[in-house]
Amino acid sequence: MENKKNNTADRELIITRTLNAPVALVWEVWTQPEHIANWWGPNGFSTTIQVMDLQAGGKWDLVMHGPDGKDYDNSSLFKEIIPFKKLVYEHVSNPHFTATILFEEQGEQTKISWHMLFDSAEQFIGVVKAYKADKGLEQNIEKLELYLQQKKIVKS
Amino acid sequence: MIERRDVFQAIADPTRRAIINMLAEKPLNVNSIAESFAVSRQAISLHIKILEECHLLQIRKQGRERYCEAKLNQLNEVSVWVAQYRQHWENKLDNLETYLEQLKKQRNGKQKK
Repeated sequence: MENKKNNTADRELIITRTLNAPVALVWEVWTQPEHIANWWGPNGFSTTIQVMDLQAGGKWDLVMHGPDGKDYDNSSLFKEIIPFKKLVYEHVSNPHFTATILFEEQGEQTKISWHMLFDSAEQFIGVVKAYKADKGLEQNIEKLELYLQQKKIVKS
Repeated sequence: MIERRDVFQAIADPTRRAIINMLAEKPLNVNSIAESFAVSRQAISLHIKILEECHLLQIRKQGRERYCEAKLNQLNEVSVWVAQYRQHWENKLDNLETYLEQLKKQRNGKQKK
């Protein structure tokens, strides 16, 4: 008896957010290279989109330029594109995973749901562990918190 | 020579995860754990040894029997690390949110002029 269930709970990550923008704008910002370069990378990183062929089977290559001067290549393949609704891509370079992004129109807002499915629980644990080993990311989280506080001050 | 063991190593194997799941319900002796799996008793003993070294279970002797008990507080370490990794992706959404606000302001500004 192996307790291996048929679900994917031990190798997936799901994050959702309601964005304060209509779905047309969210889709535009997600799918156009000149926009995506402005928000994709972690804080302190800049992003260069090399190829973004938005169709099933299309290539999507980008380079994230780290604050330490290192470049990180990312290769993906788009698997499914339903304009304003759904986008699926397979991250081909390490770590390998499939991401499904759902866009749900809610009037002037958009609910976005971001699902990442890794190959196995073993691989997912490996990714999480490698991430933990990366101290730079902790700093990024601190930076983000600072940034969000500033944002709140501006808003209020 | 001591090999470094940690909780990630413990749960990196499906059989070991299954053993932890079983023991989370109730303590079991080594034989009854082994009976639940198709692999050899030696293989199960090795898994139990690794789990013990990773401090995910403890073995208690009762007469001739050796009972295994789960020590699940170690697993918190894993969920903390998963939460950190999740934050990495949450950050992406934060950036997206900020950028959308900027863009909306820019475009509204243009319309008004």
